[in-house]
Amino acid sequence: MAIRQKPHATGKVKAGDVTQRVGVEQLEARGVNVQELIEKLIDAAGAEFTTYYYYTILRMYLAGNEDYKEICEDARLEDRAHFELITPRIYELGGSIPYDIREFADRAGCPDAYLPGTGDGKRAPGEGTGQGPTAASILEVLLEAERCAIRTWSEVCDLTFGKDPRTYDMAARILNEEVEHEAWFIELVSMERDGVVRPSGHFRRGAPGEAPYSKNAGFYNP
Amino acid sequence: MVFELPDGSTRTVRCGAEEHVLDAARRYGLQLPSSCEQGWDLACAVRVLEGRVDQSDARRYYSEDEQARFALICTAKPLSNLRLRTHASDEMREHRREHRLPAPHGRWGRTR
Repeated sequence: MAIRQKPHATGKVKAGDVTQRVGVEQLEARGVNVQELIEKLIDAAGAEFTTYYYYTILRMYLAGNEDYKEICEDARLEDRAHFELITPRIYELGGSIPYDIREFADRAGCPDAYLPGTGDGKRAPGEGTGQGPTAASILEVLLEAERCAIRTWSEVCDLTFGKDPRTYDMAARILNEEVEHEAWFIELVSMERDGVVRPSGHFRRGAPGEAPYSKNAGFYNP
Repeated sequence: MVFELPDGSTRTVRCGAEEHVLDAARRYGLQLPSSCEQGWDLACAVRVLEGRVDQSDARRYYSEDEQARFALICTAKPLSNLRLRTHASDEMREHRREHRLPAPHGRWGRTR
């Protein structure tokens, strides 16, 4: 019978060597291109961070729709929680986020979630028209932002499944919440814009930004 | 339109004038890279070898991209018959960097 070498028996980090990481070496032994994974995680972290920023603006313009505002706030705080969850993993893998926030925002893997009517953030809403963005138009932006996040995290799950349990666990937690966010915004867009009921199947979070998957047992999420 | 694939083969697909190129490819069972699907990241980039596309649905696309004949097929509509070389995200990323334009660094499906 052929002897099959165990993946964990391929290590080469010497005792006391702090320039190498066994936590990286073991991923490479299992076929993960760690540098590529780091780059993808930085893009994803950038998207969560810019989303958090833009959702801060979007929720301001949901005035008078207090239910929508609160749901937007949940999504906003949970996206920040995702950024907080991803960043330590990037450093554990030996990477870092960019030292210039402009570079970080530019390389985000998902589009900027601009407030509608601002010409992609170039002017104040309603400038010249006096008409602010509608709730439906804001909800549509939120929905498409969540959909991009689902695509991103599904891909990270695919790429790490069976090879990198720690990144997979993180990506799966984030994906769980992004899927819930999409369900919320489908429900809200559908009723607000089309007058059609498409239930999300959910009721409400506890405290704002509860993040039941990404904060309930954070492995590093102070 | 004709896709030139990395293995040297080609696939011919019919695409409606109001249809995004990626959607048409999928209708024919051709699975091509994509990620954001909003014309932002570069996962779905192709090189336009022949023809023209309407890229107005893309969330981030520059005149420099058009001049260099790159397209993001998740949001590109055909304006003519097309011949496209797929899997051009690395090339497009390099092009963006050369022009100091934004470029996500992560590569689709490439962590292994």
